[in-house]
Amino acid sequence: MIARADTHRRWRRIFLILGVIVGAYALLAPLTSLDIAQSAGVPLLADRLWFRIATFIAMFVVMATAWNIIGGITGYAAFGNVAFFGIGAYTTGMLISKARWPFLAALPVAPVMSTAFATVVGLPLLRLRGHYFAVASLGVGVAVGELVQNVEYRGQPIFGGASGLFLPIYAVDNRGLFFFYLMVLAAAISIAVTWWVLRSRLGYGLIAIRENEEAAAVIGVNTTAYKVAAFALAAALTGLAGGIFSQWNVFINQDNTFPIEYNVQMILMALLGGTGTVFGPAAGAVLLQLLIQFLGGSLPISADIPFVSESARPIVAQVILGVLLVVVVIFVPRGVIDFFGGRTRLSLAYLRRSLRETSL
Amino acid sequence: MSEPDPPTRVRSTPQLELRGVTKRFGGVAAVDGVTFEIDEGDIVGIIGPNGAGKTTLLNCISGLQRLDGGDIRWHGASISGMPPHRIARLGIGRTFQIVRPFGSMTVRENAAVGALFGSADARRGPKQAFAIADEVLELVGLAAKAGLPVSALTIPDRKRLEVARAVATKPHLLLLDEVMAGLNNVEIDEALEMVRAVHATGVTVLLIEHVMRVIIGICRHAIVLDFGQVLAQGEPDVVLRDERVIQAYLGERYAKRLKP
Repeated sequence: MIARADTHRRWRRIFLILGVIVGAYALLAPLTSLDIAQSAGVPLLADRLWFRIATFIAMFVVMATAWNIIGGITGYAAFGNVAFFGIGAYTTGMLISKARWPFLAALPVAPVMSTAFATVVGLPLLRLRGHYFAVASLGVGVAVGELVQNVEYRGQPIFGGASGLFLPIYAVDNRGLFFFYLMVLAAAISIAVTWWVLRSRLGYGLIAIRENEEAAAVIGVNTTAYKVAAFALAAALTGLAGGIFSQWNVFINQDNTFPIEYNVQMILMALLGGTGTVFGPAAGAVLLQLLIQFLGGSLPISADIPFVSESARPIVAQVILGVLLVVVVIFVPRGVIDFFGGRTRLSLAYLRRSLRETSL
Repeated sequence: MSEPDPPTRVRSTPQLELRGVTKRFGGVAAVDGVTFEIDEGDIVGIIGPNGAGKTTLLNCISGLQRLDGGDIRWHGASISGMPPHRIARLGIGRTFQIVRPFGSMTVRENAAVGALFGSADARRGPKQAFAIADEVLELVGLAAKAGLPVSALTIPDRKRLEVARAVATKPHLLLLDEVMAGLNNVEIDEALEMVRAVHATGVTVLLIEHVMRVIIGICRHAIVLDFGQVLAQGEPDVVLRDERVIQAYLGERYAKRLKP
């Protein structure tokens, strides 16, 4: 028993050190591209392409961590969270391109708008349970994207229509670096919010709702208010990511701000990492986004996938993600975060136990 | 033919008052015009054959089901139509016949959530909530198992936990839905002890029970339900000798015997 606890502690320390090294590299390597660093002869450890991928990773850390608040902690499988991302992106985008607001003034409005939307939609939607909620939230996610593209006033599209919105480029030195760190800040906020939620009355109430909603109600949890609060919190964080994305990407349209596949990806990330935990969805987002980028062929360390032509890669990537979803749900139901704490180790026995738990 | 109260006796407002409470499911009246009162500090038992409407009645009191008729009053003020969490905050706690623990939490956390929310007397911060949880687990005899996950508990212990979580909400009235069902004789004695201990802390208890000796053992007042209606009510010894009550129970048994 004691020897085992020691092994656990050693594993935990190894993972912690590894995490700090990888994290520090990811956060600090981009600094080597600064002019000062270059003129001082520091080797370039990360280029523009890496910024872009790393910013995407941070963006998905936000979305998966935010989804975890409603989907993981509260247990309401929201399939339409991409609506919050799109609403955040379009709020900031409209304020900047049409109203000529400065970016830093327009950005905070994004989470406000997506939160307001989540509250209004959440009140009726969160009365539904199980599959009904999942399907209805998916419908809302799709509908909002269509509305944004197609709403017209006197024959003119209000939100730029099918041709999308162009934003003026944000004038800042080292733009890539700026948006990378801004997205990392959003990711840090998301994780901090989750950490706080899980230690607060809100978090205990949400978990109680997940475990048994009627039992939660009869001990005094205002289930409606709590569910809407969780939904709104997820919306605020996702909307913030959308707001940053719009100025970072300069061009937004329905395809890049309301992609249905983001819904699936953020859920898969949370599941892969571990739902209901603080760091699980973030870990899942990093792993899965790296895999998506690798399969899509945009990682510098890209390799050929055997028997697959270059043009078929995106399709194969979707197939691999789908298979991964099935495998994760069956064999790693508590996510890979389970292995990081050092309490459990990946073994045949673990997989067999998971299979028993998840199958009838 | 009920006699009017003697004019000298001044009656205070009862803690809980049901007047003609009715709940229908389709054409069936599961609870049909039920009227009774509970005074503060009482222990009242509700008995009745299967399907008599006992659990539905508790669901109506705790707000999980809306009334189709009648009124429920708490210290004289109507609580009909209030959502369950507001009724819980007034100080009406309950357990479920089929226990509903929060499976991902430990025993201690389950009790603490009760204290985090619950009545106006509870609603503490996490730190104090855990202190209350520890007291309550001591009271129901689960202190030694506080750190265990719910899945490690036996059925009797899960029933204790169900009571612990409700008691942690610091209720003034506790509704217990068949906490003794499925327990053996020794376990029933232990559970009786637990209910007495909870009652001794000043909580009014309304319990649904099938086990007759529980009703006779601790209840001061018994209410017999049959087909959603109050068949008889009064002191347990008297009520259980009531001809209509015997008939209701015997009738059920004969019906069972007649089945092939």
